[in-house]
Amino acid sequence: MIYLDYAATTPISLDALDTYARVSKEYIGSLFSNNGLGLKAKELLNNTTKEISNMFSIMENEIIYTSSGTEANNMALIGGALANHKKGKHIIVSKLEHPSIYVICDYLESIGFEISYVNNDKDGLIVFDDLKKIIREDTILVSISAVNYETGVRQPLKMLRQIIKKENPNTLFHSDLTEAIGKTTINFRDIDLGSVSAHKIYGPKGIGFLYKNSQIKITPLMYGDNKNNNGRPGMPALPLIVSMKDALKNAIKDLDKRERYVSLLNERIISKLEKIEGIKINKTKYSIPHILSISFSNIIAASLSNALSEHEVYVNTTNPNEISNGVMAIYNDLERSKSCMRISLSHLTTVLEINRFLEIFEVEYNKLKNLIGG
Amino acid sequence: MQKVIFLKYGELSTKKDNRNFFLKVLHDNIEKTLKNDVNITYDYGRMFISTKEGNFDNVIGKLKNIFGIHEIVVAYKIIEKDLDNIKENIIKLLNNKDFKTFKVEVKRSDKSYPIDGMTLRKVLGAHILKNIPDKKVDVNNPEVIVNVEIRLKEVLIYFDNFKGLGGYPVSTLGKGILMLSGGIDSPVAGYLAIKRGVKIEAVYFESPPHTSEAALNKVKELAKKLALYNIDIKLHVINFTEIQEAIYKNIPHEYLITIMRRMFYRISAIIASRRGAKVIINGESIGQVASQTLTSMNVINEVVKIPVIRPVACFDKLEIIELAKKIDTYDISILPYEDCCTIFVPDHPVINPSKEKCQEYENLIDYDSLIYEAVKNERVITITSEDETFKDLL
Repeated sequence: MIYLDYAATTPISLDALDTYARVSKEYIGSLFSNNGLGLKAKELLNNTTKEISNMFSIMENEIIYTSSGTEANNMALIGGALANHKKGKHIIVSKLEHPSIYVICDYLESIGFEISYVNNDKDGLIVFDDLKKIIREDTILVSISAVNYETGVRQPLKMLRQIIKKENPNTLFHSDLTEAIGKTTINFRDIDLGSVSAHKIYGPKGIGFLYKNSQIKITPLMYGDNKNNNGRPGMPALPLIVSMKDALKNAIKDLDKRERYVSLLNERIISKLEKIEGIKINKTKYSIPHILSISFSNIIAASLSNALSEHEVYVNTTNPNEISNGVMAIYNDLERSKSCMRISLSHLTTVLEINRFLEIFEVEYNKLKNLIGG
Repeated sequence: MQKVIFLKYGELSTKKDNRNFFLKVLHDNIEKTLKNDVNITYDYGRMFISTKEGNFDNVIGKLKNIFGIHEIVVAYKIIEKDLDNIKENIIKLLNNKDFKTFKVEVKRSDKSYPIDGMTLRKVLGAHILKNIPDKKVDVNNPEVIVNVEIRLKEVLIYFDNFKGLGGYPVSTLGKGILMLSGGIDSPVAGYLAIKRGVKIEAVYFESPPHTSEAALNKVKELAKKLALYNIDIKLHVINFTEIQEAIYKNIPHEYLITIMRRMFYRISAIIASRRGAKVIINGESIGQVASQTLTSMNVINEVVKIPVIRPVACFDKLEIIELAKKIDTYDISILPYEDCCTIFVPDHPVINPSKEKCQEYENLIDYDSLIYEAVKNERVITITSEDETFKDLL
């Protein structure tokens, strides 16, 4: 198997899996019980939260565990909007967001909030002047993902924060960090709210967290006993949380070294694919090397993906009737956005895998192309 | 007093000479569906099913999906047929019921029973009025009908019945090959054929990599829904890629669909003859798309001799959708998986194709050997309504 869909999800690391099993077996007490087992579990939760907060130099009460990145996005946007609706109803998002953000925005719009979309330039970078211009006195929230999930374009969170806060110090800044953690350095102090997901960084599925600056307030979306998890009710999933901690620890280790390695793989793929007629590389100077998007002018990407699957090579493509929002936002080219493939890489990917992938890719691509041409 | 389920046959009872055969098949179908949960006996008029208390809802739920049953009745059987015993049991049963008005219906198939039907009805009615307070007889619109059947060996008392699906028991009319696509129409066509007693096997044409594995899975899901009525279903998966590509490369594109469907028919006919099926069934509906004009149907149909049944041919799309929703296939059918095939759909398909042109174009490819290869490499999957894919996890 050659897995090249790491930006969608990653296989859980053996360490994280082992931790999950161990905590499940050994820490069976309820976090709501004050008996010995409950206290032991609570101590583990507290220590784990402390360790995670230390990794990112944030405070323990700034971590809210969630079931996913999407849930964290919901909490941040809806919770942030509801908590501030008296100050204003204006929200700004970029054109390079994960679909979950747009679905949430549709909902917010339906209950009376106003959504604006900030432009990006030809390299995918948010246009600072445009952002400055559309921030208003009643702008309560800006949400811009740190790394676009389709093209890998990375945004300078620090700069964006400075612009936002200068225009309106009351505006909250949220960033979807799901594709960024483990691939690039993130300073949580650049944002007020940030969404993190464990399954994108070799952790278990079903756990993530929302970073929420302790100075700001969001309205909770669910109600119940919430004292163990900073406002999100229900029993925190201790085994998943400790397992995620292992994944996070591993993800922020050797970031530079891993990025350099993945860059080499990325370049190897590009140097081969850019020579092929009918393929465009959707890469800008802000793209991280882990995510590589390409467009086809003459074949259907999904067909090629199906063909690759037969060889147990797994990539990601746009659905035949949809377009890639990310590619469209950067190139403003409908044709280019129609048939896109995302090849996402990991430090676990080997050069041999890439070589084999390129061989299979070429054979299957030519088969499809000859059919259309012939 | 024993609680049992019995079935009324409906249309079956008119089948004189074949009645035994129909009943035997119905019996076997019920046995296959309900497995070891039940004990089944039957005679010319009724089929009896006994099961353990607590399993009645489950059994009735499954019977509701079996063709050949007109009515499902929950009854109480008493062996002591004397009047006092009948009276006593009726009162016992009615005491648990909440109603104001009732009427009594008597069926007396034991002609040697000393009291005639009319008298029995009056006596039992009077007995209820006397023994249960505040009840009235209403012959026109009663809340409860107290049915009493005097049979040779027992008396049946019952109040509740459920409508069965009707139709004929599956496979009493033989076998048919259903051309199953992922669309809305073909599962409905399959359902209607099953209803008339045809046991179906499905054929699905896939074109990897132009169609995805998700599209195949969708067809499997549809087949699973049909398996509910068909007892189980064999799905013949035909890899159509080479034929499709040969057509695409060699034949004028306005004829792509026409000739593709002629190939579908040819292959379906081969599968039918191999499997002993007497008809092909598909979801074509007159005029719905270019390949379903009468001219197209004519030109496409001419390549096979076997009859082609089109159960939804004269249905409006909305009527088909309504049925698809009823049999729970609609939500699966509208999943958008088949779109990879779009390169093979021409902008302007021919509406009035000509036979001569089809024959001329088809001679440009060696379709006999391509079809031979495709049929040789078919995969056959047997699908039941119960999912066993993730058995080790679920």
